[in-house]
Amino acid sequence: MTTTLERNATAQIPKGGGLARRQNFGTAVVAGVVFAYLFWLIAHLTLDSTGRPFGDQVATFTGLGWLIGFWIGIGAFNGPFRWLLGRDHSHADDMYYAGQNMGKARYWKFTTDHKVVGVQYIVVTMVLFGVGGILAMAIRTNLIAPGNHFVNQQVYNSFIAIHGMVMILAMIVAVAGPWGNFVMPIMIGARDMAFPRLNALSLWTLVAAIGLLVTTLAVGGLPVGWVVMDPISNQAGIGMDFFALTIIAFTVSTTVAGVNTITTMMTMRTKGMTLERMPIFTWGVFMAAALGLYAFPYFLVAESFQILDRTSFTSFFVSTGGGTGWLQANLFWLMGHPEVYVILLPAVGALFEIAAVMSRKPVFSYRTAVGSMAGLAGLSALVWAHHMFTSGWAPTLGGPFMLTTEIISIPTGLFFLVLIGTLWRGHIWMKLPTIWLFGFMANFIIAGITGIYLSDIPLDDQLHGTMFVTAHFHYVFVGSVLFGAIAALAFWYPKVTGRYLNEYLGRISFWFVFVGVQVTFLAMFVSGLRGMPRRYASYSIIFEHTNFASTIGAYTIMIGMIILGVALVTSWNKGEPSGPNPWQANSLEWMVPTPPPLENFEVQPVITEDPYNFDKEMVRR
Amino acid sequence: MSIETTEPPAAGPHGEDGGHFLEPEVVDRGQRLGVWLFIGGDIIIVSALLFTYLYLRGVNTSGHWMSMLGYQGHSYAYYQNAANLPAPTLIHVKAMSAGFDWLITAVTVVTAGIIWQGERALRVTKNAKAFSSAAAFATIVTLVAIVLTVIQLRAIPEIFVATNDSQGMAYTAYDSAFMALVGSGLIHLVVLAFLGLGLTVRASRGLITGEKWYQARLIRMFWVWIAISSVVVAAVTTTINTIH
Repeated sequence: MTTTLERNATAQIPKGGGLARRQNFGTAVVAGVVFAYLFWLIAHLTLDSTGRPFGDQVATFTGLGWLIGFWIGIGAFNGPFRWLLGRDHSHADDMYYAGQNMGKARYWKFTTDHKVVGVQYIVVTMVLFGVGGILAMAIRTNLIAPGNHFVNQQVYNSFIAIHGMVMILAMIVAVAGPWGNFVMPIMIGARDMAFPRLNALSLWTLVAAIGLLVTTLAVGGLPVGWVVMDPISNQAGIGMDFFALTIIAFTVSTTVAGVNTITTMMTMRTKGMTLERMPIFTWGVFMAAALGLYAFPYFLVAESFQILDRTSFTSFFVSTGGGTGWLQANLFWLMGHPEVYVILLPAVGALFEIAAVMSRKPVFSYRTAVGSMAGLAGLSALVWAHHMFTSGWAPTLGGPFMLTTEIISIPTGLFFLVLIGTLWRGHIWMKLPTIWLFGFMANFIIAGITGIYLSDIPLDDQLHGTMFVTAHFHYVFVGSVLFGAIAALAFWYPKVTGRYLNEYLGRISFWFVFVGVQVTFLAMFVSGLRGMPRRYASYSIIFEHTNFASTIGAYTIMIGMIILGVALVTSWNKGEPSGPNPWQANSLEWMVPTPPPLENFEVQPVITEDPYNFDKEMVRR
Repeated sequence: MSIETTEPPAAGPHGEDGGHFLEPEVVDRGQRLGVWLFIGGDIIIVSALLFTYLYLRGVNTSGHWMSMLGYQGHSYAYYQNAANLPAPTLIHVKAMSAGFDWLITAVTVVTAGIIWQGERALRVTKNAKAFSSAAAFATIVTLVAIVLTVIQLRAIPEIFVATNDSQGMAYTAYDSAFMALVGSGLIHLVVLAFLGLGLTVRASRGLITGEKWYQARLIRMFWVWIAISSVVVAAVTTTINTIH
């Protein structure tokens, strides 16, 4: 029998030659900078500098130059232009782009192998968390005492916006990026994603977008908050133009990723992998991909309008020309609330998976689990205006939106019930992934219940714009999604590296982060209940103690995350070897060698039963 | 999970399966679904643009859907000194030409029809040469549509506005929303021109034949969606514009 791996080994890789084969992250950055400069130069030479908002036009051109240059430099356009010219890739070309026999260099290139893309996403996520975390520490340091001026108010405002956006990007990709790429295709028995080149395009477009976002800090910042509401964002400096381009690029990234994920899961499942036999994690990724495909185009449209208003004097959001800021608010929140579930659902899917494997029980009511995720995805598209209760927009719709928002607690309760039911009377293995899972459950109760408070219009009238809201969504993102993401990292880390994530350091990290979250955000709830507004660089002395506590809590989280980072780096090469199936799980990713070979399977598997039929007598360490 | 194993599938055609030896049916099914999903994403974008158009017309902020305070007939950079600015007057704009709008739409629909007929000829009669000619013709007609769209964009009326800190040509909410829809149409047409050129080249190089026609079908699906969206946009913008 000829296996795929044998055929791969015999595939001839063309020697040397070709600019395309020398493209990597370095050439992408160089090309990005060169094109940005060229576009900047062209803008200066061709645009009239006297009247229109010349600076915004130049900034937009420059940002576009960076994007186009980066895409050219990394090789994103090679495939489309080869298609155009009728010079399709040979099998050897495809294997080259998949990173065959390329060693570590493949992690710096437009590599199409889904596992390489998964690892690239891990690194990108860590970088984003690092940048966002540093900004968070700067914000909290500024707020440690009333009247403290660690940074000036303009910089503080920019830090708030960039911290928000960087962390949102990090959260969106934290689970779906690494594990939706690394393990999902293997889980369903696929050799790769349906569109490998689009997979690489998605990753590298995100990297290019991050470059634009960081640039905002160097060009005057973005002192308008990450929700970039009008009219204030229309009046912001050129950082706003880079931000808008960031969102446009990011939407391209998420759209191609969403199309790729859904197509892979719907068309590339191996024989016998029926929809009900798919590991539950894959449903979480599927729902998030579908929801992202629906939601993010609204953000793209909103930010395109923003650019047009700022560079071309259109009147989408400008009232003197017949526009309105409510249009921006609607378009933003049409994306903004589903985006919360784009972030949450992959983590929920991963936690279902972890709960089942670590308790050696099937997922409690698999259909309810899938239904709860579908319910969350569907309802999340119908609740956007609860973010606008106090804006004055369509007050008559307040009641219906309050109702839809409160109804969303039903599928939320169901997924929580599934988690508890799965763990109930199981032989729970209290390893690192399980510990973070329990942390998620504790925090998510607080996140969920405070969300119900905020969906209630009379209470929202009081709490909107206060630190209570900030504490609520940080319980969602930090207390819940981050815990889910770390649980997923600890769970699948051995599949990537062949080694366990350091259990000792991981547990220390857990307690620092868990305690830190409670101290930071419970105190923040109190600040909010006492009336402290969000986004303020300074505050009254009556909020002194709770803010001091929040800052100490934030430092505690930081220490925990640094310890986790140390564990992550040191375990990569020196961790305890785990073997191919450390959790004695049954799904396909644990059946292949570690690390999985190119194309994953020597022979195509055929599935005959679901992945949660555990042998309960199996001995565990 | 119980697993059995099976022989790897036969190699698929080069360049169409990412090098992973997938069955041609799997590649075909995946690419079709992928195109449908991209169309789905595009439907969201076009819907958001139409929502914008209708919403701005509906709210008619300060009665400025089709009017704006500005200076009629003044050239750009007319006022060098802000202190000399007279009071602006309310300037009304007219709805864009419905005939021209429908002309562009008709040209777009014709290109979709050409591609559809060419693809049918390819599948039914295996006539690759006819398809190649159809793709080339559709591409040329698409270029005509692009030119017409650029003319339409340039015809959107500007109003000179000037404040103490900036001056320039501005657009009313109607013109802005119209521009967004036309601009979106232009981007679509550029994509179609790229795809049409690719089909032409690939068909002439023998990469699209009576037996290997599914890329032509995928692109036809997208092309037809663009034609439909063009009709919907034209219908909305030519029947719902002024406020009486």
